Amino acid sequence: MKATVVGAPGVGPPVGGPAPGDVVRGAEEMAGARPSRKILWGFLPISVLQVGFFLAPLVVMVLYSLWTAQGVRVIPHWTLQNYANFFTTRMYLITLLKTAAISLVVTLVALLFGYPFAYFLVRYVRKQLQVPLLMLVIIPFWTSYLLRVYAWMGILGRKGVINSLLMGLHLIKEPLSFLLYNNMSVTLVFLYLYLPFAIITLYAAIEKFDFTQMSAAADLGAPPWRAFLEIMLPQTKQGVITAFIFIFIPMLGEYIAPKLVGGTSGTMIAILIVNLFRGFQLPQGAAVALSIAVLITIVLIVFRRYLRVEELI
Amino acid sequence: METSGRARLTHAAFVLYGLLGYSFLYVPVLLLAFFSFNKSATGNLPFTGFTLHWYADLFRDYLVIDAFKNSLMVAAFTSLLATAIGTAAAFALVRAHLRFSEFLRVFFVLPMMVPGLLIGIALLVFFSSMLSLPLSLGTVTIGHVVMTTPFVVLVVASRLVDFDRRLEWAAADLGANPLATFRYVTFPLILPGILAGALFAFTLSLDEFVITLFTIGPQTTLPLYVFSQVKFGVTPKINALATLLLLGSISILLFTFYALSRLGRPGKAKPREVG
Repeated sequence: MKATVVGAPGVGPPVGGPAPGDVVRGAEEMAGARPSRKILWGFLPISVLQVGFFLAPLVVMVLYSLWTAQGVRVIPHWTLQNYANFFTTRMYLITLLKTAAISLVVTLVALLFGYPFAYFLVRYVRKQLQVPLLMLVIIPFWTSYLLRVYAWMGILGRKGVINSLLMGLHLIKEPLSFLLYNNMSVTLVFLYLYLPFAIITLYAAIEKFDFTQMSAAADLGAPPWRAFLEIMLPQTKQGVITAFIFIFIPMLGEYIAPKLVGGTSGTMIAILIVNLFRGFQLPQGAAVALSIAVLITIVLIVFRRYLRVEELI
Repeated sequence: METSGRARLTHAAFVLYGLLGYSFLYVPVLLLAFFSFNKSATGNLPFTGFTLHWYADLFRDYLVIDAFKNSLMVAAFTSLLATAIGTAAAFALVRAHLRFSEFLRVFFVLPMMVPGLLIGIALLVFFSSMLSLPLSLGTVTIGHVVMTTPFVVLVVASRLVDFDRRLEWAAADLGANPLATFRYVTFPLILPGILAGALFAFTLSLDEFVITLFTIGPQTTLPLYVFSQVKFGVTPKINALATLLLLGSISILLFTFYALSRLGRPGKAKPREVG
């Protein structure tokens, strides 16, 4: 799934300047204005939507994961067998571990490449140019996910750009087959998909950093790497962790990229889930899917302090 | 001047790194567009000549046109519903000053945190097994509304937080009834925020694949059509379609950012004059 949080330059809450909210709240108290109860009706439509078409389906999934499959039908016969299967089947566990490993690697690589890029934007680009250049980073992120994966099929494929180029230059005789359908191609494509998000989030953190501290550290004799590790990194931690969460979590549910560029060796847990549902093994599929949901919930709870979604949009 | 030489080198290195970064982000998409104009049917090198043949092909393909109509219809309804639901929620969230509004906010953006795959299969099981509802473009739209409403809530709420309520009180003091106050003061001021939310919802819906895959009946949408073709490899016709879709999303995005930036500077957006 598309990672679903993103920043837009210059559209965040205005930095500095007067905060109209403070004044307003003060004025409101003075005027003795009480918020009208009628405003609460605004919650009605979204509650119907969320409860009816988000929570209820998830509850049904929980039920199905605890029921028994009989042929293609599901009968309300309570069991924990579906979960037991998940945790005792080698193939499921290996796929889960692999998914977590790929997600972790992609997240770390995206942070590693994204950090210097964000630093470049903050330090080496003129202030007026920063917003347009950041926009250039964001635009690909909001365009079709599927098409961005497809673009790489045309580059890495058997008849792709790299192979045609190398063969045209007579550097190779046979097309290279290791470019596509493995862990490497999946990781590369994921990096392409998620790097913009890492950059946007890190930019927001680095932009707030006061760089005079680095000069102070240098004056006091700290080598640059030490100043970075002890001053800059701790102060930009918020951005690093936010990027980590919002790359790692959607990665766990990735379906399209492993399906299109992963081949059999680059498979991930989402493909397994889809196959189970396609094979009408609903209870088993539901159990695997919910295990992922639980994993995500744990990550969200552990990092809940860093979940400032509203700052990112 | 050893340090200045080193600083210049670092500067050059970072600029080079930045250029490489932008190339990484844009070369794949540009190549995709480039090969949509290539005469060669392989959708790849070598470039054998310029043609618009693949675009013409696209407009003659009734499957593509049908998918396009479906996508547009779903996106329009999704955008309309998500904007209405999300805006109402944003108003209540910002203005009701509830003690548990923090909890509500997290609850309302929850669908953003859950992978689309989970939403998709949960809805599939819910619609087909529990409700025995036939899957259709309607069920797709419901899925898209669930996914996009949180975005509208966040965009509109962040605009409302910056809103200067004294303007509304001034209107009331001058004798405007609540409806007129909303119509002539509140609405014009937050319109860019609402518009941005609507456009976000529209683009997200237009590009949505996984939720659509599970909630759709016999119909098809553009991303589903692309997926069904892509499985067999790269073709210049899909490149042409992809190029048009990318251009479409980018135009909508630029317009959205423009709308948002107009309200990014408080005081610049002016309410419409009455009468």
